[in-house]
Amino acid sequence: MSAMIEIKNVTKEFKVLNRREGLKGSLKDLFSRDYKTVRAVDNISMTVEQGEIVGYLGPNGAGKSTTIKMMTGVLEPTSGEILVAGNVPYQNRTQNAQQIGVVFGQRTQLWWALPLIESFRILKDIYRISDEDYDSMLKLYQSLVDIEPLLHKPVRQMSLGQRTLSDILAAFLHNPKIVFLDEPTIGLDVSMKANIRTLIHALNEQKKTTVILTTHDMGDVDALCRRIVIIDKGKMLYDNDTEHLKRFFGSYRTLKIRVSGNLKEHAEQIGRKLPECTVSADDEWISVLVDEEKQRVMDVLTQLQKDYRIRDMQLEEISTEDVIKKIYEEGVE
Amino acid sequence: MNLRKYLTLTRAGIIEALQFRLSAFVMFVGNILYLIVVYFLWKAIYASAGTDVVNGMTFSDTLIYLVLATALYSFTEMYTVWEIGRAIQSGKIVLDLLKPMEYRSYLFWSYSGSFVTNFCTTFLPTFLAVCIVTHGAVPLGINLLYFAVSVVMAIIINYSIDFMVGTVCLFTESIWGINIMKQVIVLLLSGATIPLAFFPETLRRVAYFLPFQSIYNAPLTILLDGSARPETVLPVLGLQLFWCVFMVLLSKLFWKASLRQITVNGG
Repeated sequence: MSAMIEIKNVTKEFKVLNRREGLKGSLKDLFSRDYKTVRAVDNISMTVEQGEIVGYLGPNGAGKSTTIKMMTGVLEPTSGEILVAGNVPYQNRTQNAQQIGVVFGQRTQLWWALPLIESFRILKDIYRISDEDYDSMLKLYQSLVDIEPLLHKPVRQMSLGQRTLSDILAAFLHNPKIVFLDEPTIGLDVSMKANIRTLIHALNEQKKTTVILTTHDMGDVDALCRRIVIIDKGKMLYDNDTEHLKRFFGSYRTLKIRVSGNLKEHAEQIGRKLPECTVSADDEWISVLVDEEKQRVMDVLTQLQKDYRIRDMQLEEISTEDVIKKIYEEGVE
Repeated sequence: MNLRKYLTLTRAGIIEALQFRLSAFVMFVGNILYLIVVYFLWKAIYASAGTDVVNGMTFSDTLIYLVLATALYSFTEMYTVWEIGRAIQSGKIVLDLLKPMEYRSYLFWSYSGSFVTNFCTTFLPTFLAVCIVTHGAVPLGINLLYFAVSVVMAIIINYSIDFMVGTVCLFTESIWGINIMKQVIVLLLSGATIPLAFFPETLRRVAYFLPFQSIYNAPLTILLDGSARPETVLPVLGLQLFWCVFMVLLSKLFWKASLRQITVNGG
């Protein structure tokens, strides 16, 4: 297997004007040369093999999009080396474009006013896809999802889910070596998310396409990625398979309960009774973070029910943000 | 060169334009209103001048020129500046840059479909109407061929200027004021709103040395020149060709420099 993406000690810095406040400040800014340097990506290295699906995680503003833009060739790294399918992306952007497919969850590359099939035809000509490849790709799509009703629908009349699905199909159409998916399931309902995950999984299997997936949805990661990379504040925190990370988010759950009375006081009491758990309170909920390896959530709930009249409850999986916080606090190993 | 990937964009542009029937209709009505204003304005100008011929042009000469200039404007205008500005502000430009095609050509060919539709919906009907109403004031001969060549070059010059102005948005992050300024300058100095013959001597000479007159004045002069002698037509076309090459190279260089701005500092 050959390395599809090689990133070595990549750093990206932006110069940002120091903005001042108020009318006077804004006027001064017109002539200001007062720049500060922001380091969006800080010394990142990784290698991705052909056919891998890598989950690229991190909180908002962590530098995920910047890294992806560098891999696609839209941004040039300040220092370090990037090779994507053997190309230096920012030097041969056009050549690189032929090898990659991109979906940005919030935007569409499709022709807004035209039926989907027209967008496909345009892409076929732009990417110079041969008739046979194009037909076999459409057949493959047909076997994976029910695209017939979508093909003749103008993109602007599609629901967000249909549009995202179409965008993903469009990104895979020229059979690229690598596809970058930037939050593809954002804002979609559960069944559409499942559809899209199945589709990505199938395309990756069939075409051996390397996929780089950024997301905030742990469901995406569970369904698709065997390996994840986590960055925060531009620095790489974690690069390993998902199994290793399971113990950070798999065994932790947050139990949220609503009771009457002063929540802060109750939270303190509960904290004393349940020393294994981390308890906190906000205006509405008391949150109890339970480590299921030590204590079962049901036991905690039974115990709480003895002391309080619980009016409402929720059970939450730990979020990416919490995982990252835990990694920060406790280290990975 | 593989033309197919460009022509597919033209085709898409035509289909796209045909989706918006109402917009074409509104544009048509807007043009008629504009022409009515132009008619009465110049009628008043000629009435106050007291002579039939002002600056070597009769009232009907002027009117024919301006009607055709308006038609040519709605045919060749691409609103590239808005498009680039919007793409930059919304960040959509990232997706356009990731097409396996140079952005300048990609945008041009995406727009080329609107030339075809606008030619059929505005320029051709206006031209035919002018020919019929004026009973042959517009010569129909070899000048039409020269005109076609001239219009193609005008479109390329216009696009290159628009593209550069649009690119400025990368640095300013706002496009409105710059575009308004560009429009005023181009429309005035190109002879699209007032025939160059009406300019004061000095300004006219300056205008002839600028690229703008190649956009409207040059093709219209060629179209309305019945004699179409090579010795009068060729210098005009030659000057256009010069600006064409010059502007394309300039916009290419400017884009290259601006692209560095994107890749180094983020769009």
